[in-house]
Amino acid sequence: MFKRLDNAAPAAMVTIWLEGQPHSVPATLSAAAAVLWLVGATGYRDHAAGGHRAPLCMMGVCHDCLITIDGQPNRQGCLVPVAEGMRLERQRRPA
Amino acid sequence: MSDASTHHADVAIIGAGPAGMAAASRLAEAGQVPVVFDLAPSPGGQIYRQLTAPQLGEDVMGRDYLRGRRLLERFERARIDYRPGSRVWWAKREGQGTTLGVLADRRSESWQVRRLIIASGAMERGWPFPGWQLPGVMQAGAGQILLKQGALIPDVPPVLAGTGPLLYLLAWQYLRAGCPPRLILDAAPRSRYATMLRRPLSTWHGRHYLLKGLGMLTTLRRAGVKVVHGIEGLRAEGNPHLQAVHYRRAGRWQSVDASMLLTHFGVVPEPQLSRGLGLPFDWHPSQQAFVPHREEASLAAAPGIWLTGDGAGIGGALNAEREGHLAALSILAAKGEPVENERTPLVQARRRELSARALLEALFRVPDGWLAAQPETTLVCRCEAVSLGELDAAMAQGAAGPGQLKAFTRCGMGPCQGRLCGESVTRLLAGHLGTTMNAAGYYQVRPPLHSITLGELADSAAPPAP
Amino acid sequence: MPQDFLIIGGGVVGMAVAYGLARRGRSVTVLDGHDDSLRASRGNAGLVWVQGKGLAMPRYAELSLHSSMAWPEFAEELTKRTGIDLEYEHCGGVDLCFDAKEAQARQTEYRALYAATPSLTAVRWEYLDREALREQLPGLGERVHGGTFSPHDGQCNPLYLLRALYAACLTLGVDYHPATPVTGIEASTTGFTAHSPQGSFSAERVILAAGLGARTLAPPLGLSGQVHPVRGQVLVTERFPPSGRLPTPQLRQTASGGYLIGDVLEDAGYDTGVTLETIHRLGQRAVQIYPELAQARLVRSWGALRVMTPDGSPLYEASRSCPGAYNLSCHSGITLAAFHARELAEAIDTDRLATIHGDFSGARFDVQATG
Ligand SMILES: Cc1cc2nc3c(=O)[nH]c(=O)nc-3n(C[C@H](O)[C@H](O)[C@H](O)COP(=O)(O)OP(=O)(O)OC[C@H]3O[C@@H](n4cnc5c(N)ncnc54)[C@H](O)[C@@H]3O)c2cc1C
Ligand code: FES
Repeated sequence: MFKRLDNAAPAAMVTIWLEGQPHSVPATLSAAAAVLWLVGATGYRDHAAGGHRAPLCMMGVCHDCLITIDGQPNRQGCLVPVAEGMRLERQRRPA
Repeated sequence: MSDASTHHADVAIIGAGPAGMAAASRLAEAGQVPVVFDLAPSPGGQIYRQLTAPQLGEDVMGRDYLRGRRLLERFERARIDYRPGSRVWWAKREGQGTTLGVLADRRSESWQVRRLIIASGAMERGWPFPGWQLPGVMQAGAGQILLKQGALIPDVPPVLAGTGPLLYLLAWQYLRAGCPPRLILDAAPRSRYATMLRRPLSTWHGRHYLLKGLGMLTTLRRAGVKVVHGIEGLRAEGNPHLQAVHYRRAGRWQSVDASMLLTHFGVVPEPQLSRGLGLPFDWHPSQQAFVPHREEASLAAAPGIWLTGDGAGIGGALNAEREGHLAALSILAAKGEPVENERTPLVQARRRELSARALLEALFRVPDGWLAAQPETTLVCRCEAVSLGELDAAMAQGAAGPGQLKAFTRCGMGPCQGRLCGESVTRLLAGHLGTTMNAAGYYQVRPPLHSITLGELADSAAPPAP
Repeated sequence: MPQDFLIIGGGVVGMAVAYGLARRGRSVTVLDGHDDSLRASRGNAGLVWVQGKGLAMPRYAELSLHSSMAWPEFAEELTKRTGIDLEYEHCGGVDLCFDAKEAQARQTEYRALYAATPSLTAVRWEYLDREALREQLPGLGERVHGGTFSPHDGQCNPLYLLRALYAACLTLGVDYHPATPVTGIEASTTGFTAHSPQGSFSAERVILAAGLGARTLAPPLGLSGQVHPVRGQVLVTERFPPSGRLPTPQLRQTASGGYLIGDVLEDAGYDTGVTLETIHRLGQRAVQIYPELAQARLVRSWGALRVMTPDGSPLYEASRSCPGAYNLSCHSGITLAAFHARELAEAIDTDRLATIHGDFSGARFDVQATG
């Protein structure tokens, strides 16, 4: 869905874990941005009223970026910068 | 009565965008040490996000972005108690000042503030259309944030839709980044030239905007980006993510396959802090937004509270910087410093800029009848999944104000605190009751102004008993 | 043709009585305040609650019991008429205690109350300690001592109750006027006229159900209207899957999944704001009750003013000097809604309020004042 431009300034990379898999991502990203970059918007989050949601605003307004960070559910992924060793789990209803 | 667990500040500033940085820097240069709270991990606000370590250069981002460096350096040099990653989730006027609840590192602390400058900026307008809740649909600002934060661009050409300068800026940036948009669907009114002729002064003051816009448009056209004007309706479709965008023009629906749709229907002041403090707002017909009251000369909205930047009315980054500067001067003047010579040119520049803005507002109006024309299944409140049809039904059953409508339908009860549906609800009520936006009213905004968990609340330093 | 009734106030009390009267074939006009006027009906906790009500007046305890027994049928009837689910559950409830002293005092009070009149001996309740409570309240924290369980208690969505009353009234032809604040009421030989900036409205009889508005509207009509505000503050968290936990006044999970936290009584005049100190305390208490809620995000908070009479029991009064004028003021308008829509509406309609419910009149305060 998103790709990183080749001519981007070199960024420090950190390792985060998305659903148990390690990934190296630029340290400048928020948790939500990292997920969009790694796996796209599809399947980002299941909504209580049914259907799927993904980040809309990326600036703390919509709350559609809720994600489990280091075991804490429902954090606003767009407002939390990634950090070395951060564990992310997308919030999906059990099938 | 003060308490060891309460912090005190003479001046606190909420927001480290252009307005907040300018205010803080100027105060610091006069020997004050303001405290600055901001959600983001680094200063810059929306426009200068990530400018402390830019991911891309002027070739992609344009000149306006890099221009912020000067202000950023000034901010970083000054002696300021800058607190990134801080969420002001509580604000209340108390006695001589304002009490703030500030959440940082998962702990909330209370602050007693004598003078408060609110510089918390704008947000993109919530603008319902069928399917705007689908993954694959984002606001244009989100696309730009990804660009600034990590040089992230769509891996397939996206569709851009809506109205406003940001739409074209993003299109231009994507083009420069090698990912030209597949299609731009422009929903602005079509009578652009007539608008300019009707506002000669604004057009003159806004000529640099016009030239810049024209330049971008020419570049986009030359690169073969298709722009469709006169969009009357929009629909996003797909499961479980966006697959097609439908748009209506001259009464006819057409479709385009797309996996990403970026929309923009203007920016509006982010209302939570000012509304939470009980400051009065008025509907601004030209900005098509609710805008808080403030004193024109000092930018004060109440004793000890100043409103600056886009959070007080959309004026753009340069205007925000001047307003931050002016608020700082207003505080310094009260402390007896001579500031008149410094003020005058700022006031003049601000007046010219706001006149130029009036042109942009007229050129990029959002279509007022849009909401009422949406199908009844369209979600108005995304958080609680409340549709237009449900709101119509509740109004027919006697809900005659935003509070009652919220109570009857849950509209606005979700975690976004009604920020994305507030304007829509007022529009619906105004239409239903045949009254003005002001008379229709707005939700009552109460804490939390930002999300906080019960654990964070419980662990927080106990605030003093009043 | 003048209307039969003018009701001042479109809260849950006014609308329940309007519904009851319209159901009996009366023509009713309701005049309501502005959207942002004081509205306990929109700020309450949604408990349909019996235990502990009427400690100062056993007749009020009887009324609460009676209304809660009528609730299931009342809810069903409203849903049938309007299609609106009130999310009513007659599930029983627990009032928590945090230490042994509180538990002791509670039991002493209940023992006395539920022996006070023959009909009150029918009230069932028991004290359960923390371990025993964990069955109904899984996840209960160590700081809770125990609580009183009663099967008569229950919960509903008070906002949907209000909406259903509106919808039902609408279908019965009730004439509802929002944003029509009444400034004064005049009595004449043919009835009553209420004045507002939006115009004047007349009817043969008038019922004040104006919450705290009774203070100014009631006395000129020879009614006491003795009420004062008692503030509550309420927090609501984000939604969670249903836990099946019984409601408590301190904390309950609503049908939509959020936890509603409240139960504070404050004297704050007419200030409906929330205070940092109180919501901090409410947050702490919620985490004490269910430690897992530490991770729950707070999404809403509000303050609301209870409509409180001097002794906390309802005030139902018929004017002697202006026959045909009534004032209804009460806390617990949710619990009492079923009673208001039936017996109370009937008593007013047949003009027997003073005879049947005379002990709820304002006269009781005069007696206390002189005695
Ligand atoms: C925090 C809190 C928790 C509560 N919890 C519960 C509970 O769990 N269970 C329970 O049974 N009860 C509970 N209650 C009480 C219940 O909400 C009230 O008993 C009930 O809402 C009172 O209804 P009312 O119609 O008298 O007043 P309100 O709901 O306040 O309505 C008064 C109406 O009158 C209108 N009005 C006022 N003045 C005028 C005027 N001059 N002209 C025209 N209109 C006017 C107002 O606009 C308003 O609509 C609680 C209350 C609070 C505050
Ligand atoms: S994406 Fe909107 S709040 Fe995070």
